[in-house]
Amino acid sequence: MKKEKILIANRGEIAIRIMMACEDLGCDYIVVYTHEDRESLHVRRAREKGPGKRTYRIASYKDPNEIFAVADQAGATAIHPGYGFFSENFRFARRATMRTRPITFIGPRWEVIRDLGSKINTKKVAKSLGIPVIPGSDSPIYSEIEAEALAEELFLQQREQGIRAPSVLVKASAGGGGMGIEEVQHLDTFRRVYRRIQNYAKRQFGDEGVLIEQCLRDYQHIEVQLLCDRHGTVTHFGTRNCTIQSTGRQKRVEVAPGFDPEVWDYSFDSLRVLKDITGHSVNLAREVGYDSAGTWEWVVTRDGRPYLLEVNTRIQVENEISACISRIRGREDTPVNLIREQIRTALGEKLGFTQKDIYFEGTSIELRIVAEDVKRGFAPWCGTITRFEFPQRPWARLYSHVPADKPYNIPTEYDPNLALAIIWGKDTGEAVERAGEFLLGSNIEGHNAKGEPVITNLAYLYDRLDDVLRF
Amino acid sequence: MTDTLHKHIADSGQFLSQLASRITYLIDIIGDGSWFDLEKLLEEVQQVRNAIFDLPEKELFKRMLMLEDRISILEDRAAREITPARMVNIVRSVQRFTLQDILENVYDSFTELGGEEDCNIDPAIVVARATISRRVKKRIHKHQVMVIGHEKGMGEEYRNGGCAKPWGNDKALRYMKVAETEGIPIHFLIFTPGSYPIEDFPGAAQQIARNIYAMCKLEVPTVSFISEGGSGGAEAIGLADFRLMASHGYYSVISPEGAAAIEGKIREGGKVPRELVEKCARQLKMTARDNLGLGTIDRIVHEPPLGARKDDYDFFRRLRFEMIRATDEVVLRTKSFRTFRAYALKKQIAKDYGSSDTFDVHIPWRLSEKETERLLENRSRKYRSMGQGYTELKKESLIDLHKLRDKTRETITRTYYEIKYGLLKPHKKNVQKVLEEVTGEGAAFLAKITEPVKAAVDFLSGPDGEQRLLSDENQHTSIFSREWEQYVSPLANEDRTVTCPNAAKYGCMDLWVPDLYGEFCGVCPTCGHHFPLEYQWYLQNLFDRGSVKEFNRHIVSGNPLKFEGLDARLNRDMQRTGRRSGIITFKASVLGVKIVVAMLYSNFRSGTVGSAEGEKFLRACDLARTRRRPFLAYIHTTGGIRIQEGTLGVIQMPRCTMAVREYVDSGGLYIVVYDNNSYAGPVASFLGCSPYQVGIRSSRIGFAGPRVIRETTGQDVPPDYHSARNALRRGHIQGIWDRRDFRKNLHDALMTMGGPNLYYK
Repeated sequence: MKKEKILIANRGEIAIRIMMACEDLGCDYIVVYTHEDRESLHVRRAREKGPGKRTYRIASYKDPNEIFAVADQAGATAIHPGYGFFSENFRFARRATMRTRPITFIGPRWEVIRDLGSKINTKKVAKSLGIPVIPGSDSPIYSEIEAEALAEELFLQQREQGIRAPSVLVKASAGGGGMGIEEVQHLDTFRRVYRRIQNYAKRQFGDEGVLIEQCLRDYQHIEVQLLCDRHGTVTHFGTRNCTIQSTGRQKRVEVAPGFDPEVWDYSFDSLRVLKDITGHSVNLAREVGYDSAGTWEWVVTRDGRPYLLEVNTRIQVENEISACISRIRGREDTPVNLIREQIRTALGEKLGFTQKDIYFEGTSIELRIVAEDVKRGFAPWCGTITRFEFPQRPWARLYSHVPADKPYNIPTEYDPNLALAIIWGKDTGEAVERAGEFLLGSNIEGHNAKGEPVITNLAYLYDRLDDVLRF
Repeated sequence: MTDTLHKHIADSGQFLSQLASRITYLIDIIGDGSWFDLEKLLEEVQQVRNAIFDLPEKELFKRMLMLEDRISILEDRAAREITPARMVNIVRSVQRFTLQDILENVYDSFTELGGEEDCNIDPAIVVARATISRRVKKRIHKHQVMVIGHEKGMGEEYRNGGCAKPWGNDKALRYMKVAETEGIPIHFLIFTPGSYPIEDFPGAAQQIARNIYAMCKLEVPTVSFISEGGSGGAEAIGLADFRLMASHGYYSVISPEGAAAIEGKIREGGKVPRELVEKCARQLKMTARDNLGLGTIDRIVHEPPLGARKDDYDFFRRLRFEMIRATDEVVLRTKSFRTFRAYALKKQIAKDYGSSDTFDVHIPWRLSEKETERLLENRSRKYRSMGQGYTELKKESLIDLHKLRDKTRETITRTYYEIKYGLLKPHKKNVQKVLEEVTGEGAAFLAKITEPVKAAVDFLSGPDGEQRLLSDENQHTSIFSREWEQYVSPLANEDRTVTCPNAAKYGCMDLWVPDLYGEFCGVCPTCGHHFPLEYQWYLQNLFDRGSVKEFNRHIVSGNPLKFEGLDARLNRDMQRTGRRSGIITFKASVLGVKIVVAMLYSNFRSGTVGSAEGEKFLRACDLARTRRRPFLAYIHTTGGIRIQEGTLGVIQMPRCTMAVREYVDSGGLYIVVYDNNSYAGPVASFLGCSPYQVGIRSSRIGFAGPRVIRETTGQDVPPDYHSARNALRRGHIQGIWDRRDFRKNLHDALMTMGGPNLYYK
């Protein structure tokens, strides 16, 4: 690989995984960190790598000006945004590409980020390709009569499908993150809710456009992992099931593949559904000219209907479970690393393999180990970690920014994620069993300012293993 | 002389103090006590006064005589050497007559309304019901009039030097309405250095605008008399059917000191050189004779050589005569009986004030309905044509052609639109089809008539500006121009960041310039602060693509007063902007709705308004009226009236307001949108009178800037004093628009507001 220097504009375990991928590729890298993160392993690892300055302290991970200033100062040629922060910010990507000293943005082209970043737009394109999307409006509605007619139709459809308590969601089209959403269970009350949301949207976002869609309740959250290069190659790395989530809709346990009919009886042809949604995802990727790693999020209802939810134009936390069950013919001795492939494609290299070369083996489970109080609504726990031990197994990998050799204060500024564990088994049964063994063998100790012991979600994760891939 | 002296022997003291006041008056006028040792002379007078009882009588008389001789010689000399700057000194002298003197001496009896002296909502404005009487062949006829004027109240602090506060002007307006209800003429007596520039409700600018707007169509004869006519303050009660001016008064766009400070770029608190003040006073053409020449006043009332003082009773008699004569003239011009009117007019007007102040005929001042109509027509014509001769057209040889073309077009289009919307509209449903045919034919017909003329003009002057407008804006390229087809500000072509001024308050991150001036439309996405954008952005983004068609490009900003240095500055701005005046007037459409737009923009003399700008505004307004289109005044920036055009600039205030008033009354929709900075004259007249005024976020709107406020009132104002938010809070504007919603909001406004006479209603 030619002289590349990659700025890692993120923190925690993803920063570490990007570093490892860079080392794999033989690229130099630099990391940024804030004052709160100075003890984090991602900083220590970069510092200990060898001669040359590799760490830069910044005030915020969210200020693009600072990131670019560091990039220029350090002579970085590319920026990896990780996930969160700038990963799906098309303006950041655009600025990186269009500035006087351009820097490669490791991710899709900014136009793709922008176009797929809009759920409405994604829905529109998907519809035009015959990809199923959640029934409802595919553009903002401004007229009450139009909205009511659509709501009526949605109620009717649900009744025809035999749904006992049909309902629709009314959303502010300019909203996001759960703001400005209300559920309507009776058509009679629709008009009132519509007006309320419309007023809210006008006040809050200056745009009174409203979206209406069917409210789905009973579904599994399935993802398709895609990897494309800048030369038109589109591949997928199978599916994942991310249904096990905290109350705040944060994923806690993810499994690849998406369903396993060997273990559970589904009321529909699960393999067929998985095949359909990967097919649809690949089609959409081809249509928009997708050119990086990305995730297509789907919901599958109990009667086996899939609906495309949105596209995440970034590398995701749980990317490695897909990598873990994937094999590339002829390269079986090097494990698949999607982050490495993502960097490679962003720098313009060809993938060098096609879908035909990819096959799958076994089941992989990701456990997100977090310092949180599950019984109190997943409230984050703050304090000092004094002991941080996990079983060493050939079938388990652990990623963490928490140093195991000295006490570590969890910064209150960020989510209290402690570690990611990736477990592999030759089938689902073995994977679940190993995950259980791993959790039982983990040991995290610590205390907060009052001297109370650390609270983690290890027990919760163990309990939820029974639900893996169950519908 | 001895006779006069003997009369005064009894009271030599009084005589001497009169001499002393004559000297101080001279010092006031010259503005310099060392002029012919005036101060020493004053000392001498004081010495004699102190020694009245010590000096032998003969010696005393001799010295008094000598002193009077010397003073008289000096007075003669001063009278011969009166410069414009000295006129200003005369007007400001404490010995000059004030409104009170006029009320007591010109009118027979008066009753003050709305307060007396310091027990008053604004002691600077005095309103009185007054009786003025004339003698016709030994019979006395009395007229009731409403007198509205400024009281400088020399020495009375609470009068504020005749600077009316906003509520003072509001009081004036209320009593104008009373006079209108009662049908009695109004006499406006103007003694003001300017309005008190505070924004408290009802707001200096807004109230002046309201007054001018009302005076345009006040249904009674109005006469104004100017002694001290300070710009906007004067206009607040100055729009009259007949304008008189004292021969030693001044009527100006700005005080000579103010002009000198601007011209000399004097920093606040710095000393303004006297020569510069004198030069500015001369160049501003502020004297009565200058103004008569410019046509901004109708007649001069002559004063004694050194100006009238509080005891010039002869002057007051003359003023009474002139006030009556002027009112008569206004009234007579409304009379339908032509011969009588001609006869009476001739008789009355030809007669000048001489030894006698009697009149030949009595003319009642009450008007019939028909006459009132004619009064308003006359007033409209008067202001519309005022100063028009000073508007410069592009090429001398083309004036006639343009005029011909404009006139032909005007007549034809008016008839055409009257047929289209006036006559046919009521039967629209039945004759829809016919109408369409008429429209089609009409356009063809119109083209046939105007095309040859237009072609000739184009041949001589190059293609008309319409296409040029779009082509020369499109020259720059942007890094986004391929991605975003619409216009992107050239400001976006820089790879750097800027800091939002609200960063400390709202934690806004630095903005990357291409994002800010491209996608964000110059708006900080965190706090909504609007960074200024060039006017071209609005031309391209506010109106439907390709719909902007500029007109009246041939009306060019000039230098009617030959103000030194203005030509060079105009040339520089013309080269820099490729435009020839500070206003762009054009037809355009907004989401399909056709409108007429007048746009004052910052790059040309800071968007100041002079004759050319006023003329273009007025024509645009009239075009909107005949075509029944909404009229938008988009103020990118205006710095006020162009001071280098003197009162020719000031009269654009009543002129354009007249056009606006007639447009609004005709049932149109007049919307004013302020952006960036809008101050002074235009805001206090044709902009501020709009029923729909809106500020773009982060804009500043007001009467006078913080410096002028500080200098005139001694008050410091907070930095956000003129902000759009505060203007909204005070009720000056009706709303604040985000630049990104401008187009949508404008379209909403077009669809929901306005009178019944819009073409699409």
